[in-house]
Amino acid sequence: MIGFLRWQVIACALFFALTASARADDVVHLGVQSCAGNNCHGAVHPIGNSQVPQNEYFIWSEKDKHAHAYSVLSNDRSKRIAKNLGLADAEHAPLCLDCHADNVPPAQRGPQFQLSDGVGCEACHGGAEKWLGPHLSGESHAANIKAGLYPTDQPEARAVRCLSCHVGGEKKFVTHTIMGAGHPPMPFELDTYTAIEPAHFVVNKSYIERKGRPNDMQIWAMGLANDVKLRMDLVLSPAHAAKGVNFELSLFDCQSCHHSMSELQWRARSTTDLPPGRIKLYDATTVMLLVAADRVSPDAAKALATHLLALHAATGDSWDAVKREATTVREIADKLIPQIASHDFTKDDAAKLSHAVVASALNTGGDLDYSGAQQQVMALESIVAAMKHLGFADEKQLAPLEATMNGLYEAVANDQTYKPDTYVAAMKAFSSKLPI
Amino acid sequence: MMRLLLAALVLLGAAGPSFGQTSGDPPIGVHLGVATCAGSNCHGATQRPRNSYVPGNEYLIWSQHDKHHIAYQVLLENRAVKMAQALGLPDAAHQKYCLDCHADNVPQDQRGVQFQLSDGVGCEACHGGASGWLGIHVSGATHAQNVAAGLYPAEKPIARAEKCLSCHYGDETKFADHRLYGAGHPRLAFELDTYTAIQPAHFVVDQGYIERMGRITDLQVWSVGQAIALIKRMDAVLDPKHAPKGTWPEFAFFDCQSCHHEYGDYARPTTTGLGPGTVKFNDANELMLQVAAMRVAPAAATALRDHMMALQKATVENWSAVEQEAQGVRAAAQSLVNEFAHHNFTGDDMRALAEALFAHAQTDDVFSHDEQITFALEALTAGLKSSGDITDQKGQTIDNALKAVYAAFPNDKTVNRDAFNKALKGLQQAMRR
Repeated sequence: MIGFLRWQVIACALFFALTASARADDVVHLGVQSCAGNNCHGAVHPIGNSQVPQNEYFIWSEKDKHAHAYSVLSNDRSKRIAKNLGLADAEHAPLCLDCHADNVPPAQRGPQFQLSDGVGCEACHGGAEKWLGPHLSGESHAANIKAGLYPTDQPEARAVRCLSCHVGGEKKFVTHTIMGAGHPPMPFELDTYTAIEPAHFVVNKSYIERKGRPNDMQIWAMGLANDVKLRMDLVLSPAHAAKGVNFELSLFDCQSCHHSMSELQWRARSTTDLPPGRIKLYDATTVMLLVAADRVSPDAAKALATHLLALHAATGDSWDAVKREATTVREIADKLIPQIASHDFTKDDAAKLSHAVVASALNTGGDLDYSGAQQQVMALESIVAAMKHLGFADEKQLAPLEATMNGLYEAVANDQTYKPDTYVAAMKAFSSKLPI
Repeated sequence: MMRLLLAALVLLGAAGPSFGQTSGDPPIGVHLGVATCAGSNCHGATQRPRNSYVPGNEYLIWSQHDKHHIAYQVLLENRAVKMAQALGLPDAAHQKYCLDCHADNVPQDQRGVQFQLSDGVGCEACHGGASGWLGIHVSGATHAQNVAAGLYPAEKPIARAEKCLSCHYGDETKFADHRLYGAGHPRLAFELDTYTAIQPAHFVVDQGYIERMGRITDLQVWSVGQAIALIKRMDAVLDPKHAPKGTWPEFAFFDCQSCHHEYGDYARPTTTGLGPGTVKFNDANELMLQVAAMRVAPAAATALRDHMMALQKATVENWSAVEQEAQGVRAAAQSLVNEFAHHNFTGDDMRALAEALFAHAQTDDVFSHDEQITFALEALTAGLKSSGDITDQKGQTIDNALKAVYAAFPNDKTVNRDAFNKALKGLQQAMRR
């Protein structure tokens, strides 16, 4: 009897999961205008006892590049990219629109929907047809989510949503053909990019009551695990398999090739163990995941380190060997996701993680590649944000950290002028100010 | 009687190398060392020795102006030390891998008493070990007799191309692969005629030179240099040592700037028939040869182009298809070597070649092409001047216009596109009759 009940529950859950996902796939997107009313998310100041500042639309439309995602498709650079790709234009090509707009099928576009709104509200928060009603009626966040609102407050869900474009997947991927046609490279780190978007939410008492207290370290680690998992999916995808001696170069580290030939570049790196002159699979996020995993699951971190080395070695062996190692790396990252979700990132974690990120750069054989440096800086940004938001450090301690963080950002501002020595100096300056 | 005896001696000497060594014989072609040639009454003279065919200052030019002279010394510098470390070598200055091109690295038993490895790429690295020919050389033998006795015929375009390119591109034993580049070796740029001139040349083409060596033109040297360079490239592609290892092909076959470029907002259309984002095989020598052949042997030019385009396509298919097309490119290049070595390039030929280069420069903006176009224009300028086709004053105008073309290259890796196009227009004007 108990068994039967259990089955019934599971069956019900499965039914709901399936209908929910079916709903998410075919609901109507009502358009940015439906959200931007001056009594809703387009208010100049909060109205009554609103739980949110209500200026979300303004932040997005005035400061957030997502608002321009569509309009850039008609600028000169996009025209040239389209021409190089043999496309009539960029603003009508699904290849471009799938990430540069909320490109749902025409049947799912409501009367106020405009493709030209770019990456609008519902591109991230989900088509509002089914949840706008309860949302307006003051339903709880949980009830809204049940009705189809996308739970962007949950680290894993946020990672999946953002990375679906910012790294890509089976259907959306900036291949090297698109890069070669002129698309810019796409650095990403979930916590930092949430902050610099800029965020159109404020973590206050009400937010915490409704959604829980976000932990920047957890968001950072969750972003990394999902990033690595997605990248391995891309390696394993038949769509991106090597054709003869032709590889999907977007899986590799941009600066591994796109660097000046004027200076000696090569240095031994303990996390790659590659000889000079070889192209390196992009691994900056995997190296950071190693650091994060060491707090969450030291065994997973050890296994990841071993298989990352094997993955790099495999590129000198065969694509089958690469896929074999990618499968293992993917599994490790995948298993880390629930562990990161349930891990309580403490003050001790903040201390250990910040020092470990510094060490990943400064230790002998550390990662001083541009992509690595970029991820280290954003990792430190997230950890310092956690120190600040969770009260692990006071203002007096934070001020010198934030000041020296500027030096780190300057050192990684440009991939072509990046100098490891300058970066190392900036990193030393930063690490000397670490309060815990 | 005396003449006969001398001839007999010469023949005997000449027979030595061609008979080859048998065990027990003293080694032939011993490299006697730079000091042997550098005497003040020989090639180290500050003024032309009496009755000398040559200025006599060859050693001084080499030791003061020619980078071959410091080829060994650079192996001791910081950069080379770091490169050796990256390659897992204890140093660079004792490695056959480095010394084979950075010195006259003959085996110990072929080093004479005055030989010093630290002389770098010394006289005999190019002119051949002198033990067989030094005697008759100082005794006034003819150039032909010296050559018969083992002096390397560096004046002959094919021989010069083979010798220079054995290091400046590579051969079956010496090759700058991408591992070496990745460790920090500078890119190898080369064009036979230009590099002969800027070495700087330690010979003067005067009446005596022409009488002894024959009239050799800049265009013969340029075109043969392109053909041999292309043959060597294809030989390297076909060498099983350089077959793809694991996932990767040998990157040294590809155009450096095809990957090593900034990715600002300027994406260029490809010239290979392949889509954006594909890596381009280095086809700069092929392009130059195609331009030259279009004037001299149009059928070969077409074959070259077709095989090279097919080769580019094959790089995204499989390596055996690359090898197949490399055979085709090689055969087309080989068919042109002798023809170019003896072709009489007229003033009209040279002007037509220049126009073809100017026209090509407008069709793409590939660095390796721009570089070879510039070298080709240097060779054409030299050819026009030495052919007597233009006045000295005109030669000066062309020289100045050519300087502007070089000035468009801020370094050996990038070109300032606008300045380059403007300078080419200027040179085109200057070259017209």
